[in-house]
Amino acid sequence: MSIIDLQNITKSYRTGFSEFCALKGINLQLERRDMLAIIGSSGSGKSTLMNIMGLLDYCSTGNYFLLGEDVSRLAEKKLAVTRNKKMGFVFQSFFLLPRLNVLQNVMLPLFYREESLTLSHQKALEILKKVGMEKFIDHKPNQLSGGQQQRVAIARALVGDPEVIFADEPTGSLDSKTGREIMDLFLKLNHDEGRTIVVVTHDKEVSHLCKRVITLKDGLIVCD
Amino acid sequence: MRLINHIREGWFNLLSSKLRSILALLGILVGTASVVAMVSAGKLATNEALKQFKTLGTDLLAFSVNDASEQDSIVSKINNLTLPDALNLKKINKMIINVAPYAQLYYSTQFNGHPLNGSVLGVTEDFADIVHIRLASGRFISIMDGYEFFCVIGDKVNEQIKKLTLSDAIGQHIQIGKNIFTIVGVANPWPENSFVYADINYSVMIPILASISLSQYASISNIILRLDPKADIELIQKNITNYINQKVQNKRLFFRSAKELIARMSKQSQILTIFLGLIGSISLLVGGIGVMNIMLVSVVERRREIGIRLAVGAKRSDIWALFLVEAVMLSLLGGTLGITVGIFIGYVMALFSHWEFTLFLMPPLLGFTVSVAVGVFFGYYPAYKASQLDPIEALRSE
Repeated sequence: MSIIDLQNITKSYRTGFSEFCALKGINLQLERRDMLAIIGSSGSGKSTLMNIMGLLDYCSTGNYFLLGEDVSRLAEKKLAVTRNKKMGFVFQSFFLLPRLNVLQNVMLPLFYREESLTLSHQKALEILKKVGMEKFIDHKPNQLSGGQQQRVAIARALVGDPEVIFADEPTGSLDSKTGREIMDLFLKLNHDEGRTIVVVTHDKEVSHLCKRVITLKDGLIVCD
Repeated sequence: MRLINHIREGWFNLLSSKLRSILALLGILVGTASVVAMVSAGKLATNEALKQFKTLGTDLLAFSVNDASEQDSIVSKINNLTLPDALNLKKINKMIINVAPYAQLYYSTQFNGHPLNGSVLGVTEDFADIVHIRLASGRFISIMDGYEFFCVIGDKVNEQIKKLTLSDAIGQHIQIGKNIFTIVGVANPWPENSFVYADINYSVMIPILASISLSQYASISNIILRLDPKADIELIQKNITNYINQKVQNKRLFFRSAKELIARMSKQSQILTIFLGLIGSISLLVGGIGVMNIMLVSVVERRREIGIRLAVGAKRSDIWALFLVEAVMLSLLGGTLGITVGIFIGYVMALFSHWEFTLFLMPPLLGFTVSVAVGVFFGYYPAYKASQLDPIEALRSE
């Protein structure tokens, strides 16, 4: 069974009187242990697709099966729970909470899961060790370099043991050397732990590293 | 556990924008302080006003006997209440414990040719007991004094005499009208009390029979009774009216009971207290609007944070709680500090007005409840607004 099964997904926005179609019928199956890159020029709909796959947004028509369950019309509250348990997000500009320290940032998803404090603490430490950030647990995000912040963000995405990790331009704010390190971390997670990872990027170097690449153009998959 | 975390996070957030938090807190502080101070002051004033009645006891009933109509006011001693009639009031109802009739005389008083500032009261032995007169020296008027020209002077009268003579007031003579009275007792200072129409401190008290014999205008026009605390005041009033109407004609009685008076005064000051509380609430309202303003700014500023939280799986209710907890914490903190300040203001007010200060439980509790309510009320909308943000838009915002 596929982790994600998208069937004829469309997404349209209404702006004034005109209707803008961002996605025009996407069919996509994502298997376990996949490492998928979604590429395309800006405006191709790749971010919209990721938002829908990440349950941050609803699709207009079509069906979205997550682990065999139709989640395309799920209530918002259930979406939040599903996001919390099944998904991890990594963003281009890291999006760590500036007031919290590294450890607290990583523990955040577990907080919304009502995990006990000691267990979340333990889990977060474990994950931070895995991404090589265990020495920085007391630091605030602004005391870290971009690469270090992204590692923390990856730890936050991993801590809830999700089915899929969505990374939206994860190397976009990093220099090429650090970007490569981050990609290596993703590859390692995919290879060693069998994590399913979806990377949205327009960087050819990044997409070359992935097992599977789909290209989006004007809301359609033009190349798989 | 979730709530504790919200509280901890809220605390961090408030600390991270200190100046703004302090300003919002100040609004609530001033509001709560004014509510607490106003209500406290109202209650203190009430207490002070009631204190004088309570020192005499709440089981007093007084009445005055007046002519029913103007035409009848041709003075006729025959139609006046006699002392035995008045004293027999004690027998008409078991609940009447003690009776003290008194007569007021409008005569000038002199000491060694110097006029004294004091009025003359004809009293009985029990008068001292009922209106709580304590003697500094000598004795009080006794039933045995009959028509004798003895008198007991109040504290202020004694002070005036002290200025005129070096020797002790007892045994000295006071001229009342054309008659000479011997001082047999000096009273201690008497706490002023508006339940008794006369001021004992400025009184020269003489035996009631002597007072009636002195002047044809003097009559037993006022009677104070001490009742059993369980007494039915209305029934006793009815009994007394019936009794008096049997003895004398064409008289009208005016009753005043301490209990009724206290009840009426309490009610009045309750209205005053509510009014003061409302005035205080206006500033609390302004403080609440301040909190709302701060929270709305905070929501706009933290849009991205809200987006991140939603992305990692926060429910809308979590975001809502996060902001509401912050607003409530602001007002709770401001409220607690405001209560302290308000109590202090109440204390200072009492100090300057020479009132007795009592710490009431009601105003702080009220202040506390209202400030939390303000936090919930004015925090609700910003928190709701925060929780309704679209995660994608929130993430995209700067």
